[in-house]
Amino acid sequence: MKNSDRLIRAMIWDRRRRAFFGVLRELRHDRPGFIGLLLLTFFGLFALAAPLIADRSALLAASGRNNPDLAAPSAKFLFGTDEIGRDVLAQLVWGSRVSLFIGLFATLVAVVIGSVVGLVAGYAKGKVSAVLLAIDDFFLVVPFLPLAIVLAVVLGRSPLTLAIVIGFTSWAGSARLIRAQVLTLRERAYVERAQALGAGSWHVIRRHVLPGVAPLIIANATLIVPVAILTESTLSFLGFGDRLSPSWGKLLDGAQSSGSITINAWWYFLPPGLCIIGIVLAFTMLGRALERIFDPRLRGR
Amino acid sequence: MSWRYLLKKVGGAFLTMAVVVVFNFFLFRIVDRDPLAKYRGRSKLTPEQRETMIRRMGLEGSKWDQFVVYVKSVFRLDFGRSFDSTQPVLEEIKMRLPATLLLVGVSTLLTIFIGLYIGTKAGWRRGSRFDKASTSASMVLYSTPEFFFGMLLLAFVAGRTGWFPTGGLRTVGADHDFVGNILDRLHHLVLPMLTLTLGYLGSYALIMRTSMIETLGEDYLVTARAKGLKDSEVMSRHAVPNALLPSVSLIAISCGYIIGGAITTETVFSYPGLGLATANAIQNNDLPMLQALFMLASAAVILFNLIADIIYAFLDPRVKRVE
Amino acid sequence: MTTPVLQVNELQVSYHAHSGVVPAVRGVDLEIAHGETLGLAGESGCGKSTLALALLRLLPPTTKVTGSILFAGKDILTMRPGEVRAIRWAQASIIFQGAQHVLNPVRTIGRQIDEASETHGMNRSGGVAELLEIVGLGARRAKDYPHELSGGQKQRALIAMALACDPMLIIADEPTTALDVMIQAQILQMLEEIKRERGLSMLFITHDLSVLSQIADRVAIMYAGRVIEVGAGRDLLREFKHPYSIALAASFPVIGDTASRRNPRGLVGDPPSPNDLPSGCAFHPRCSVAIEKCRSTDVVLKSVSKSMDRRVACLHFGGQSD
Ligand SMILES: Nc1ncnc2c1ncn2[C@@H]1O[C@H](COP(=O)(O)OP(=O)(O)O)[C@@H](O)[C@H]1O
Ligand SMILES: [Mg+2]
Repeated sequence: MKNSDRLIRAMIWDRRRRAFFGVLRELRHDRPGFIGLLLLTFFGLFALAAPLIADRSALLAASGRNNPDLAAPSAKFLFGTDEIGRDVLAQLVWGSRVSLFIGLFATLVAVVIGSVVGLVAGYAKGKVSAVLLAIDDFFLVVPFLPLAIVLAVVLGRSPLTLAIVIGFTSWAGSARLIRAQVLTLRERAYVERAQALGAGSWHVIRRHVLPGVAPLIIANATLIVPVAILTESTLSFLGFGDRLSPSWGKLLDGAQSSGSITINAWWYFLPPGLCIIGIVLAFTMLGRALERIFDPRLRGR
Repeated sequence: MSWRYLLKKVGGAFLTMAVVVVFNFFLFRIVDRDPLAKYRGRSKLTPEQRETMIRRMGLEGSKWDQFVVYVKSVFRLDFGRSFDSTQPVLEEIKMRLPATLLLVGVSTLLTIFIGLYIGTKAGWRRGSRFDKASTSASMVLYSTPEFFFGMLLLAFVAGRTGWFPTGGLRTVGADHDFVGNILDRLHHLVLPMLTLTLGYLGSYALIMRTSMIETLGEDYLVTARAKGLKDSEVMSRHAVPNALLPSVSLIAISCGYIIGGAITTETVFSYPGLGLATANAIQNNDLPMLQALFMLASAAVILFNLIADIIYAFLDPRVKRVE
Repeated sequence: MTTPVLQVNELQVSYHAHSGVVPAVRGVDLEIAHGETLGLAGESGCGKSTLALALLRLLPPTTKVTGSILFAGKDILTMRPGEVRAIRWAQASIIFQGAQHVLNPVRTIGRQIDEASETHGMNRSGGVAELLEIVGLGARRAKDYPHELSGGQKQRALIAMALACDPMLIIADEPTTALDVMIQAQILQMLEEIKRERGLSMLFITHDLSVLSQIADRVAIMYAGRVIEVGAGRDLLREFKHPYSIALAASFPVIGDTASRRNPRGLVGDPPSPNDLPSGCAFHPRCSVAIEKCRSTDVVLKSVSKSMDRRVACLHFGGQSD
């Protein structure tokens, strides 16, 4: 690598680092955003600490064999037990990993598809753009839970498949947003100049358009995660997912089908439900704050 | 609104529906190599049974032959027979449709009216105590899966107080007169309806609030105030009609979410509509049923969007010229 | 002497924005007599619109407004909201700039005009139709929506709207700015006639000095939130005294002189931002005759000895430099 290259790279990284800390600083003054960040840190630590709180084997059906079923919280089981005597707390902490993984992975899929479609639809003209827009329209209009359901039924019920299916059904809105942003960006003088100087499309997209839309993509991704987590919990509740490695939604499914509600075994269904609310709130508050920070026109929302 | 606009929108709706139909074929006949493998919990079919099934489901011949058969049957609203009950899918759907229409219809209307009201008021008085309280509440509502609301209502309202039935469409075996029957059904409707309404109220309120805040900076509101109008008049005559515009299409898209929400809500309350049928079809891998339900849900949302486009044209005189 | 239609004393307006306090108007005195037209001119950003909106208390609630604004002797700044609403449009109406979104896009022109008279319980015999005829639009336009009108037509509709309640005073905030020259002239002509026929008083705001000779009885020149020169229209426009007024006049192309159009003279640099005003005379950094004292001395309006009515805020006039 040439020396000048290295220098440029260092400069770029420096700028990115400063931008990152700048955003953090602004977040501290945005109360909802800051609360969201704190909540998120909490859940992140919760997921990381899973092995410290409970052994993975507590998820196995056999682990509950010698325990009372649907037992109320006690010193031994802080969150009681489920219908086959497994520790609810263990499932809750390990479930945080499943829920977060599916939420984040689905978002990754959605953001990649959405960015590519949005960038190309905004940058290309004519037929390509029209076709992409038509596809986008289709995915915007078709009700996405039924769509995710039929996809999951056909493609398979594992958590990984679920994540892909959720991602595949949630990109349409971001593609729309990103396209709009690209359209305004390409009007800017420096993009036009780069084009006039004969820079290739890919170069222009990477050097000029992508940095311009990156903040939008980040804020948008932060807002897709909570929707993906909600969708995951809904699909799990409806029977998809894995009972032996349960997400929070899957726990609610267990709570519902085991009749824990009729006997009011609140320790079984309250914690996973509250966790879902908490994590969704956290991502949503953070995402909206990022939107405000990146786009000052939204201040005061 | 011009005829051209209407024609264009109706045409667009039919086109989208056509894409749904094709997509459905693609998914269930091409991506899914062997739909029969899922028949009845994969219990082994004898070769003869398999032959019959293949013929009955139109899985013979080339993919193109299959496609022609499929499209014809879609036009006849013939979706085959349920893997589960072995009854014609159309009959199963017809039987359950009214209950779901009632639930989704009432909930949608409630959600729209309450959500828009709250959002309007919060946006107009941005930063007020009402705004802060309602926005926080909307965020929490938005973040809560509707079926969790259902579970809470079941456990803490129906379970504790006994004021409401815990599920079903009506009291089985009860002997009511006409009015009593209606009241009984409404009684069963309350909690599912509340669940669905609470589940989607938040996003509607947030959409409308944002829209309202965007409108607040408009010059014509200054004009209206300069004319000596009261605050409430400026809001209702000038701000709201404009703020509604961007909300209309977002709201139409959100209607799809309520339809999705009916699936889990009906499951929680064992409310025998199409949502519960969907949940059962998932459990049983009932492909014919799922295909039909998916197409029906899509048709419903496409229709919602078409209605929204027409309403939009009535609300915004500029549509005439744009199109 | 009768009370003036409008009397403004020591008006100060500060916006409260994210960036801090913005002093947009910094102590303005104005007076408009019955049937009189006061022309108010200055570069964009000097606080003209702020002043106009302040007169009817139309600024955002966080804005700080001090001084007094007397309509027929009563101070609008101390009135209750109901009283303020009664003054709005009935005593003083505003002609906004029609190119902006000052008309509600989803209501017909007719309804928007009607609404004004309805609010104040005035049922005009001729109604909207008559008003539209007066401004040369034709009664049928009442059913049109704003987007169906051209810029000039919108401006006429706004004038019709301003007349709806027979006000004593009309505040016209750059009513011809975005229009092309021909239409600009027509509209000015029309305003002039309407004003004369009805004996209206007017505050005519513009950034273009050249339109004032036609319509203004008196002229005030504004810079950075203050009036820096004021006097009888004809007298003032014939000979500007304040260096800013001179530069402002020179910066507009002389009609018919293509050379001046291509090469505007006069003002160098940008007007100061209200957040960051120069010390002393706010104009001194751009002034060609500034002296050291201009930096430090806060200049105020002083009568210029020869003409009674003419007052200028400059160290070079009115003996301020002594
Ligand atoms: N709502 C507002 N908040 C903060 N500053 C404002 C606001 N409106 C106007 N200003 C500032 O006040 C100054 C005067 O603006 P304005 O009255 O519109 O000037 P003019 O009409 O002479 O062009 C400008 O510097 C402008 O940036
Ligand atoms: Mg102005």
